[in-house]
Amino acid sequence: MQAQITNERLLKADAEPQNWLTYSGSYKSWRYSALDQINKNNAKNLKVAWVHQMPTSHRIEATPIVVDGVMYVSEPPSNVFALDAATGRPFWHYKRILPAKINVCCDAVNRGVAVLGDRVFLGTVDAHLVALNAKTGAVIWDIEVADSKTGYSVTGAPLIVKDMVITGVAGGEYGIRGFLDAYDIKTGKRRWRFNTIPGPGEKGHETWGSGNAWKQGGGPTWVTGSYDPELNYIIWGVGNPSPDWNADVRPGDNLYSDSAIALDADTGTLKWHFQFVPHDSNDWDAVQVPVLVDSDWQGKPRKLIYWAHRGGFYYVLDRVTGEFLLGKPFAKQTWAKSLDAKGRPDRLPNSTPTEEGAIIWPGVQGATNWYSPSYSPLSGLFYLTVWENKGLYLKGEPKYTPGNRYVGSVPDIDVADDPGYGAIRALNPKTGEPVWEYKMQTKPWSGVMTTAGHVLFGSNGGWLSRGREDMEAYFFALDADNGKELWRINLGGTMASNPMTYMVNGRQMVAMAAGGAVFTFVVE
Amino acid sequence: MRAVLALLFSTLVFAQNPHDTPADRAAGAKMFRSHCGPCHGTKATGGTGPDLTTGVFYHGSSDAELYHNISEGIAGTAMPDVFFDGTQVWQLVAYVRSLSQHATPAAPKGNVQHGAQLTREKGCTGCHLIRGEGGARGPDLSIIGSQRSLEHLRESILEPNAKVPQEYWVAKILAKDGANYSGFLMNQDTYMVQILDFSRGLTSVSRSNFKDFGIDRGSVMPSYKGKLTDAELDDVVAYLASLKRQKGGAE
Repeated sequence: MQAQITNERLLKADAEPQNWLTYSGSYKSWRYSALDQINKNNAKNLKVAWVHQMPTSHRIEATPIVVDGVMYVSEPPSNVFALDAATGRPFWHYKRILPAKINVCCDAVNRGVAVLGDRVFLGTVDAHLVALNAKTGAVIWDIEVADSKTGYSVTGAPLIVKDMVITGVAGGEYGIRGFLDAYDIKTGKRRWRFNTIPGPGEKGHETWGSGNAWKQGGGPTWVTGSYDPELNYIIWGVGNPSPDWNADVRPGDNLYSDSAIALDADTGTLKWHFQFVPHDSNDWDAVQVPVLVDSDWQGKPRKLIYWAHRGGFYYVLDRVTGEFLLGKPFAKQTWAKSLDAKGRPDRLPNSTPTEEGAIIWPGVQGATNWYSPSYSPLSGLFYLTVWENKGLYLKGEPKYTPGNRYVGSVPDIDVADDPGYGAIRALNPKTGEPVWEYKMQTKPWSGVMTTAGHVLFGSNGGWLSRGREDMEAYFFALDADNGKELWRINLGGTMASNPMTYMVNGRQMVAMAAGGAVFTFVVE
Repeated sequence: MRAVLALLFSTLVFAQNPHDTPADRAAGAKMFRSHCGPCHGTKATGGTGPDLTTGVFYHGSSDAELYHNISEGIAGTAMPDVFFDGTQVWQLVAYVRSLSQHATPAAPKGNVQHGAQLTREKGCTGCHLIRGEGGARGPDLSIIGSQRSLEHLRESILEPNAKVPQEYWVAKILAKDGANYSGFLMNQDTYMVQILDFSRGLTSVSRSNFKDFGIDRGSVMPSYKGKLTDAELDDVVAYLASLKRQKGGAE
C-alpha cells in the first residue's frame, strides 16, 4: 500500500527503515539504517538482486529514494527513473531536454531527488527546479533557479523542510555568487534566498576587499545539508570562493565560503556560521554532509555536529551556537600549524598555490570530499572515506567572463610519482582519534553507510571515466566494529555515489550505483 | 553580437593571429604554465597530454584549429573547454606556435635508410613494434617521430633509465607457493596485481598469495652507449624521427 509522504513521516524517517526518504536517510544525516536482516554474520552471502542500466554516459552520483516499494533515482544529467524497488523494472522515466551548452565543472551529474506528498523534486544542470508527479513523472511545475548561461547549475539533491523545497547551486568554478533557496512545494514560488556571499551593507561583505570580487565570489551549495526541527535550523555546507586557486583578487576571509551555515528554516536568515578555511586558495569546499548528533559532551548533554572537512581536519561544532569544540586532523595535512580556540587555522608557510607549483597535503580533491560519511549509534563511531594524498597547486591569472571557467589555474590532482591512497576510517567522534582503517590501493569517489547489522558498506570505486585502467571498482561490506572485510564484488564501473538500503517484500536490499547502472544486493 | 561573430569568423578564415607579439607570447607562456602544464608538461613536451613542441597537432595544426581546440576543448579527449577570453586564447596559440618554430631548425642530420637498417640489425625490433613488425617488450615506435623530440629519442637510446613510463616498470613477485612472476606492471588494486608476465603473458596475482613483491622502475632496455658510433646514432635518430603520424592512416 502506497501512502503519501508527509512531513510527519520525514521527521520520523528513522521509524520506517524499510524506506529511504531523504538524501542522507534522515534529517540528522547519519546515513545509518536500523535494518539488520543483512548483518556481519551473513554479509558473506550477499548476491546481486537486480541491475538497472541507464542510458547515460555521465557519472551516477545519486542516492536513490525509496518510498513504499518504489525507488526514485535520478539519471544524469537531469532525468529521473521510478523503478519497482523489488525488481528494478521501470514504471516511468522523466527525460529532460537540455540546452546545448551546460556549464558544469566536473561532468553533468545529479545527486538525487526529494519526495513529498505526490511529488518528486529534481534540480537540473540548467539550473532549474522541477516538481514531477510521483505516479506518472509528469511535470507539475518547472522554475528557473538561476541563469545557467552565467555558470549556475543544480547538481545536489533537494531537501524538503516543512512546505518548502530547499535547493543549493553549483558553479564555484564559474564565478557565480552562491546561495541557498527555499521554494513553495505547491507553486514553485520562491520563499527566501540566502546569499552565501554578502552584498554591500550586509555583515561579512567587508571580508571581500573593496572591489567587486564578491560579485563573482563563488560559495556554491552543491551537497544536501541537514535539518534540526527543534531549533528549526537548516544546516548546510558552503563551497569554495572563486577564483579557486588565486586569492589575490579577494583580500579578506571571504565569508561565507568554506563555511558551515545555520539558517532559520522559515526566513532563511543566518543564525550562525563557522568558517573552516578563511581566504581559501586550495579549493577546499565545506560541501560535506553535516552529521547531527545529540550527545554527552564533557559531562553535559549537547546538540553537536560532526564534520570531517575537505582540508583534512575533523571538527565538532555546537549546533545551537556554531561554537568550535574540537578540531583534529584525520589525514596528513601540511597547511595548518594548529587551530586556535575558535577553530581558526594558523596557516603554515608554503601552503598556497605558486606560479612554479607548490606541493601541499591534502591534494586538490581534499582528504575527503562531498561523498557521505556515516554515524552509527550502535558503535558510536563516525565513518568516512579518506584520501591520503598531496597535490601540485599552481597559481595563474584568473579573468572573469560570464559562463567561462574562473579558476586561476589547473592543479595537478594525481602527482604521478606519489599518487597516495584511499581508506575507510572509523573515528571516535568525541576525540577525532582513529579507531580502525581499511586501506586501499586507490582513492575512492564514494561514501559510506552503516546499518544495525553492524555492517559498513563502501567502495574503492574511483573515477574510471577519466580513462584510468589502474582504478578499481569493488563494492564491499566491512564489519563496522573493526573494519574487517566481510564481502566484496567487482562492479567494474565508476562508483561516485553513496550506498543506501531499504526493505521490500520482507527482504533487505542494499543499493549502489556503478558505471551507468544501479545495482542492488540481498542475502539469500 | 553580430559584429563580434563576424570579426571572429574573419579571424578564423584568415587564421591570422592578431596577438603574436613577444609580450603576447610571454603572457601565453604564463597561462600555459598554470593552466596547461599539468597535462602537457611545464615545458609543453608532454605528460598525460601530448607533446606540443613538434609542430604537429593531431587535431589540426593551423592557428584557426588551435584557437578552436583551446576555446572549445576536444570532444572525446581529456582536453577541456573554454577557460579564457579570445585575446588570451590567441596569446596561448602564439606561445604554443613559438615552441615548434624554435624546434624546427634542429632537423635530424643522419641517414634515414641506414637508420632503418640499424634498428633491425641492432635488435631494436626484437622488442619494439614498428608499423606491424617487431616485439611487445617496449613502446610501439610506429609514430614516435610525432611524439618525441630528437633530444628525447637520443637520450632514450643512450640512457634508457632516464624516463621510464609506469607501464614499463617491472614487477617481481615471489608467491607463497614458490612461484616466481616477473613482467611489466599493468595495474594494481587493493587485492591483486596485474602484470604482463614475461613467460606467462597476461597474469593476475592475488596479494594474499604474495611472499615478496617489488617494483623495478628501471628499464629492461639495454643502453646503446658505446654500441653505436656517433654516426650510427644519428642515423637511428633520423629514422625514428621520420616515423610521423600519417594522415588518414589507422593509428
